Amino acid sequence: MKNFIYNIGYFLKETKTILQLNAVSNIFSLLSTGLIFFILAMVISGWWVSSQIVEAIEEEAEISVYYEESMDNYEVTQLMERLRIVKGVVEVRLVEEGEAYKRMEDILGKDAGVLTYLEDNPFNSFIEVKINMEEMNFVLGKIRLVTGVDYIRDNQEVLKRIENISQILKLLGTLIITAVGISTLVIIGHIIRLGIYNNREQINTLRLLGAHELFIAFPFLLVGMILTLGGGVLASALAAAAIKYIYAQMAGPLPFIPLPPQETLVSGIVIIVIFLSAVLGIVGSVFGLSSAKK
Amino acid sequence: MIEAKGVCLQYPDGTMALKNIDLQIVPGDMLYITGPSGSGKTSLLKLLMGMEYPTEGTLRVLGQPIAKGQDKGIRHLRMAMGPVFQEFRLIKGRTALENVMLGMRFLNTTHGHLKEAAIHTLARVGLEHKAFSLVENLSWGECQRVAIARAVVRKPAIIVADEPTGNLDKHNALNILALLSSFRDKSTAVIITTHATHLIEGEEDVKHIRMDNGNIHWERPRMT
Ligand SMILES: Nc1ncnc2c1ncn2[C@@H]1O[C@H](COP(=O)(O)OP(=O)(O)O)[C@@H](O)[C@H]1O
Ligand SMILES: [Mg+2]
Repeated sequence: MKNFIYNIGYFLKETKTILQLNAVSNIFSLLSTGLIFFILAMVISGWWVSSQIVEAIEEEAEISVYYEESMDNYEVTQLMERLRIVKGVVEVRLVEEGEAYKRMEDILGKDAGVLTYLEDNPFNSFIEVKINMEEMNFVLGKIRLVTGVDYIRDNQEVLKRIENISQILKLLGTLIITAVGISTLVIIGHIIRLGIYNNREQINTLRLLGAHELFIAFPFLLVGMILTLGGGVLASALAAAAIKYIYAQMAGPLPFIPLPPQETLVSGIVIIVIFLSAVLGIVGSVFGLSSAKK
Repeated sequence: MIEAKGVCLQYPDGTMALKNIDLQIVPGDMLYITGPSGSGKTSLLKLLMGMEYPTEGTLRVLGQPIAKGQDKGIRHLRMAMGPVFQEFRLIKGRTALENVMLGMRFLNTTHGHLKEAAIHTLARVGLEHKAFSLVENLSWGECQRVAIARAVVRKPAIIVADEPTGNLDKHNALNILALLSSFRDKSTAVIITTHATHLIEGEEDVKHIRMDNGNIHWERPRMT
């Protein structure tokens, strides 16, 4: 141990020498691990954002409750009161015919002109009910039983579909992360092996002088760590820039998508990538070392 | 400190490099191994370093059996040896000083002052002015002195030098032999191989074995 501490300076110098002696191949290794980690960062970001969106949509589970047209304002208010006390209902709001028409206009956008062909407003007013997602089915059943309710339109279909998509995303994400993990291990292992191969004469000399395997291997471990961590840092910088760019592109045309705050996403991704690169660096180095022994 | 009984070494290709060797070396011995090239001198040194194992017989160096499955013990043994390899095996891209320090870095007995000890030893082989030169910029003779410094700086129990006289002229060869034997003391044995038998004829108080075709013959002391 005392020996080890005394030799730290030596290990660092050896690491520098090894890095310099194979500078070109080391730069390529750094770039390729960087790119792999960048892909990983983008997959994780996509995963993160999509699960955030799903969560946000699920939180705002909204249904439209239509009532009998014959009801007057007082009865509608009473109906809203009855809805409000149903367990699991978060918010109740009346959407009048005019607003319903406007919403459709917004949805149609530049095609809204078709609405002018209609003689009078074809839209009915309805009650918008926000409910707790987890209790969706239970609440729907309850609301159906409330007197005065004609029929209900819910977005369960849409939610199901989004959930399916997010499940596929998760699966894809897991697959890609696994693939990236394995390729990083292989690349790092290979780099270490190459380093050992290139320096095999020196390594043999050290063995003949009685050096401990760990003493011999430590600079190579450091090289592996530096290259992977370097790749991680490179990927973090690229990912931060990419996220910034994508956010800037999305902010204008898609203002209603509930993206996580940019700083949270970037710092989260940076932490994940650096952490992963450190872990993969260690594992890959050990892997490369043990496979390079004799 | 070295005890060989009936040691044979047969290489995987079938070459019998050493045949039924008996040998005993005690601390403070100075042993010359002579013989034509191909007679088995390097093979014998390889056995002492644990680079090869006897295919027959038993060999102990500093109490350590040289055999398969003794990796850890052999590693410790190597720390107690001061090898000067025929091709020196210096680490390229490093200075003479760094190479000499490497002889001590990982010894359990080392406690600081590596640099002072290394410079002191370089001075002893007459090379302190080249301490900070990269070894690839040194001449053959200078490299040899760095290799000797790396071997002796660790205060080994056995100094082993393979063909240190190489192609040197008589004057330089005698100088190198004198330098190596100057590290002999009552606890340190020195073993030197050379094919230049005429160089050691005048030496007093040394052991000398002559090898030919894997057999050893005692020249000094004479065996009956
Ligand atoms: N690794 C090896 N494999 C097979 N034969 C070898 C090997 N090393 C040496 N030899 C053979 O063993 C014999 C002794 O070689 P060596 O010990 O190098 O002799 P010396 O050092 O006296 O010149 C020679 O015939 C040589 O060709
Ligand atoms: Mg030889």
